[in-house]
Amino acid sequence: MAPTPENTRRLNKEERIRRIAGMTNGKFVSSNQVADVLKLIIEPDDILCLEGDNQKQADFFANQLATLDIKDLHDIHLVMSCITLPAHLELFKKGAVKQVDFCYAGPQGQAVAELLAEGKFPIGAIHTYNELYARYYMDLTPRVALIAAVQADRAGNLYLAANTEDTPAIVEPTAFSNGIIFAQVNEIVDSIPRIDIPADQVDLIVEAPYPMHLTALFTRDPAAITEVQILMAMMAIRGIYQEYEVQSLNHGVGFNTAAIELLLPTYGEELGLKGKICNYWMVNPLPTMIPAIESGWVKSVFSVGGEVGMERYTAARSDIFFTGRDGSFHSNRPMGQLAGHYAIDMFIGATLQIDINGNSSTVSKKRITGFGGAPNMGCQPMGRRHPTKAWLKVGAESNPGPGAIPGRKLVVQMAETFQSGRVPTFVEELEAQDPNIKKALHGVAPVMIYGDDVTHVVTEEGIANLAACRTIEERQAAIRGVAGYTPVGLKRNMKETQELRARGIIRLPEDLGIAPSSVSRSLLAAQDIKGLVRWSGGLYDPPSQFIDW
Amino acid sequence: MEKFDKTFPSKPFSWPPDKEWAIAGVVGSGNLEVLFERNIESPNTMECHVESSIPGYEDSWLAALEDFAANYSAGGTKVTIHDQGAAPIVVTFRLRQAYDHLLQKIS
Repeated sequence: MAPTPENTRRLNKEERIRRIAGMTNGKFVSSNQVADVLKLIIEPDDILCLEGDNQKQADFFANQLATLDIKDLHDIHLVMSCITLPAHLELFKKGAVKQVDFCYAGPQGQAVAELLAEGKFPIGAIHTYNELYARYYMDLTPRVALIAAVQADRAGNLYLAANTEDTPAIVEPTAFSNGIIFAQVNEIVDSIPRIDIPADQVDLIVEAPYPMHLTALFTRDPAAITEVQILMAMMAIRGIYQEYEVQSLNHGVGFNTAAIELLLPTYGEELGLKGKICNYWMVNPLPTMIPAIESGWVKSVFSVGGEVGMERYTAARSDIFFTGRDGSFHSNRPMGQLAGHYAIDMFIGATLQIDINGNSSTVSKKRITGFGGAPNMGCQPMGRRHPTKAWLKVGAESNPGPGAIPGRKLVVQMAETFQSGRVPTFVEELEAQDPNIKKALHGVAPVMIYGDDVTHVVTEEGIANLAACRTIEERQAAIRGVAGYTPVGLKRNMKETQELRARGIIRLPEDLGIAPSSVSRSLLAAQDIKGLVRWSGGLYDPPSQFIDW
Repeated sequence: MEKFDKTFPSKPFSWPPDKEWAIAGVVGSGNLEVLFERNIESPNTMECHVESSIPGYEDSWLAALEDFAANYSAGGTKVTIHDQGAAPIVVTFRLRQAYDHLLQKIS
């Protein structure tokens, strides 16, 4: 085929594949040749996508890339969900990356902040998950994508098992734009349980010498839930779940929401709420949801990813969880995020820092963490048109002006007023507003959830209904009113706080009918991981780090 | 170790006839104990005595106690707090718990 302006990408792909002609057996590459193949198929200025998010990692590829010399790998525009492995940082230390567009760097946040200070971390932007996937179809379409799957069959079809995660979101834009898809798999087998990625979208496959890395990100040991968290959970159930009759929801990953899950079959049951709230969930298969599921609280759960140890349980509860024809659990990150954006009554999650206007962030001067998926759910979807009871009720409370959307999603931030080490959660200004951080991000402060989107803040002091505040000053007073004895809280005016309480904008535990003396760990449906295993009828297989018996 | 005393004005608490005291929490690492006792002499004040293993937080303690005395009818009580490094978030919670115990009938 003659090169024309219309087919240069196709010809260039063919050229790259020709370079490795002697090194492959059909689509299959042996693991000891992967470094050499990567050298030959990646070119300078490529947009390179390395699969890796907060759970699942193409870590064999990451480690192989890290071994390459700068002369063989340079001027890379790296696009990936999460920069979480030491091998990822190697690429920056070597200076192989000319630009990076990503979402999250949680565990490596401190190292990223250090590299940034040294000028070795050239950020394009920090994204939310769906935002980054969207750009894969626009201006960040990968030339080469290095992905991870559990199994491949001899034809090259891939099986992703429970952890679909980002894989389809990476494969589609790459495969349909003459990019190269190279998959690491845990094993190559004669036949796979189901086809998650069809062979004709996959160019190269290697059986990795070790299985892909998976993190048990969503497992919370009930033994570590405190009484204060139980009090907050009871307030949330009374003041928000019951009040707005929340039907569909997303929970964050913290202990606060784990406490809520474990109170549904006990406290929730006592309040007569079973069947009235919490029917439809967009969450990963959280082990702390097992008691609620077993007690008949949950109609369905759709997930953005799996959770280590929940494979047998989810397969055995296929009425609740989405499962494939083979019977095993299925997840999809972009679609889960979409569901969490448009189709839920409530997002509720924790955060590290909240400012007086209700903006929150997990970024500090010393830790550049980024976003992940929370902002896709913890925001008001401007494209939403379908009503639900909760959506209309919050909408009415927030008194929309003419021409405004009539409803609002409940966006709830739940946090103790202090983090561990007596670090205040509430601050006058977010550290994310630091001028150096903003400069590195081209003028954008990395705000996780915007105050304008937040409807409620729950602390151990009480609930502040920000949606019902009429002015920004009122919102600030409501936040100070529940900010406890942090510097922000100490600046509250008692009269103002009492007025807000009289209007129901601030509600204390006793306003919600909660007797503080009734707050007890005995309210938790399970006391520890072993309790969860018992509730699951032995179907939950907790990872070894959670087993203490 | 830090110790201090402070008395706050508070509306009188109506003591149930059979109640003399109530307690919440325990003196254990990262926790604290709050003891409410009857103080017949002074029906319009909440008298506080705090002993904390972590010095330097007197202002926060006083702010929490002042708010409590203003928000609840706690006059005629003597409050003794023994703290062993409890997080600040536990203070008001334990005060509310002990106060709630005061209100409950002895079974």
